[in-house]
Amino acid sequence: MNPHPYPPRQPYRPGWAPPPRPSMEVHRLHWATAPLRSLNIVVVYFVLIGMWLLLDPDDWFTLDPARILLFLLVTFPVALVAGAVGVWTWWAVRFWIDGDDLVVDTGVVRSRIRRIPLSRMQGVDVVSPLLGRLLGLAEVRLELAGGSSAEITLRYLGRRRAQELRAELVALAAGLPGHTPEAPERPFCRVGFGALFLSLVLRVPVLLAFALFVALVVFGIVTGELAVLGVAIPILLGLCREVAAPLVMYARFRSSIAPDGIRLRFGLLESRLQTVPPGRIQALRVVEPWMWRQFGWARVEMTVAGYGGERQALSSTLLPVGPREAAFAMVSEIFPGAPVEGVALTAARSRWRSADAAGISREVFVSRRGRFCRTWDVVDFARAQSVRLTASPVQRLLGLGTVQVDVPPGPVQVAAVDWELAQARGLADETVARTGPARARSGSLERWAG
Amino acid sequence: MNEQPQILPPQPYRQRTREEAFAPPEGARWWRISSRHKWYRRTVALVVALLAGPIGAFVVARTGGTPGAIVWGAATVLAFVLAWLVAEQDYQAWGFLERGDDLVITSGVFQRRIVIVPYARMQFVDVTSGPLEQVFGLATVRLHTAAATTDAAIPGLPVAVADQLRDRLAARGDEGAGL
Repeated sequence: MNPHPYPPRQPYRPGWAPPPRPSMEVHRLHWATAPLRSLNIVVVYFVLIGMWLLLDPDDWFTLDPARILLFLLVTFPVALVAGAVGVWTWWAVRFWIDGDDLVVDTGVVRSRIRRIPLSRMQGVDVVSPLLGRLLGLAEVRLELAGGSSAEITLRYLGRRRAQELRAELVALAAGLPGHTPEAPERPFCRVGFGALFLSLVLRVPVLLAFALFVALVVFGIVTGELAVLGVAIPILLGLCREVAAPLVMYARFRSSIAPDGIRLRFGLLESRLQTVPPGRIQALRVVEPWMWRQFGWARVEMTVAGYGGERQALSSTLLPVGPREAAFAMVSEIFPGAPVEGVALTAARSRWRSADAAGISREVFVSRRGRFCRTWDVVDFARAQSVRLTASPVQRLLGLGTVQVDVPPGPVQVAAVDWELAQARGLADETVARTGPARARSGSLERWAG
Repeated sequence: MNEQPQILPPQPYRQRTREEAFAPPEGARWWRISSRHKWYRRTVALVVALLAGPIGAFVVARTGGTPGAIVWGAATVLAFVLAWLVAEQDYQAWGFLERGDDLVITSGVFQRRIVIVPYARMQFVDVTSGPLEQVFGLATVRLHTAAATTDAAIPGLPVAVADQLRDRLAARGDEGAGL
């Protein structure tokens, strides 16, 4: 869980030849895609129909020759069709890189071409499901900005080819020639399994739920009352959702920083390599739950434009748990400039929000809130969409106002709550005044690097 | 990027007082929306009152009897009178200003609000005009950014003004990057 103290960048080795340029020709998916897809269909068929043809529901353990014959007669054509469909779908998908676009053709008789401008790409994930990992296969997912069909999945490629394609897409999106070798990366942080497990368990709601669960089970055993299961089982499921699911998902978490973006690797069963270009991160949030603060731990979440709904939730974690120094180092790595903790914050004026505070530096707007679970929200001025100053009737009686900086939908909400009204207006004006130069500094966001 | 000094120049503006918190930016005056907007609001209130009054009174009368219907009717009339009076205040509260790099909009009688949208962050602008707005020759200009929480709309503009404003904003948005 220790952040690496910035090891030197790996020198470029001239002896290592760059991989052959994949953008030259038309590609197909890995051949194993065809049998895998056929197998999928056959398994579904067997469970839904085949099994019932083969087995007699009244007598499970003897096989009737007539039934076997019927089963073979039905299964053989089904297997043929499944094989044909597998080969067909494998043969149909072709993709190649044409200039700045990735072109995917999914038509067999007539071509059905989809062009994806790489400048609109928000991120590239390489995902290996459990089965795929055993066979050395992986799928490549492209996240695009906006739209409902804003995700492209290439399933499956050989693991090596998937890595090459990822490197090439990232390089092209960064405006570099396609044969650029994969950018060297600098390890940043690594989360051990024990630390992840402890961090997921050591949260007040989780511990309370667990205590309630144990109490219910003990009560149930003592009194012999089975009705407690009706409450205990939902609690157990909730605990699985809150502890076991993130544990499996974020196990073996490693993050590293490369010129073309931040690379996150994680997953126990389904391993995932997520590439997040820094220019695409709109806002960040550092969360310090009350219990984690006793150990000096924190979590980092991000808002990436274009990830909507479920994908937003799945891919908004930048660091599942880490020392708070590493968390804030991560934030300064993405939004360079003054450290977030060094920004002078002004506390809210109202008594019931006195734990909240906000402030600005030259580059970022920072707001902190929460007495127990402390949350820091950070947005770079260059990514601020609009600024709002509001005063509700109650706030106006007290002479207070709230300044909100609007960012694309995601976990982060940046707001300076309950400031003195005149100061709040000053803050809003100042925030807007700083967005212009910040945008000029960050340059065009059409490209990743630079 | 980090060569420039981190120290900021002294604040050029004088500190505002609490009353001035929603005043226009230094040395400028708000641009007003059309005064027909308040008549539009009053017409909407009238339509709602004419629909909600009898229907509500009928529904209430079935459960609460005649006294209930009278209370409902009185409440409807009171709400309508309030809406009528607030329409004037609401019209007075609306204001907007096109500045060099951003659009500033203020509004709200009870909940005061100022929204500042940099042109560079605008994704698109649209002009809408509902059936009742069309009767009054009014339209609403709305700015959209990548943030769903941005609520930057200017209602009650004469249609020609709205179209001109949209064209100016769109032209300025083209100079920026979008997202």
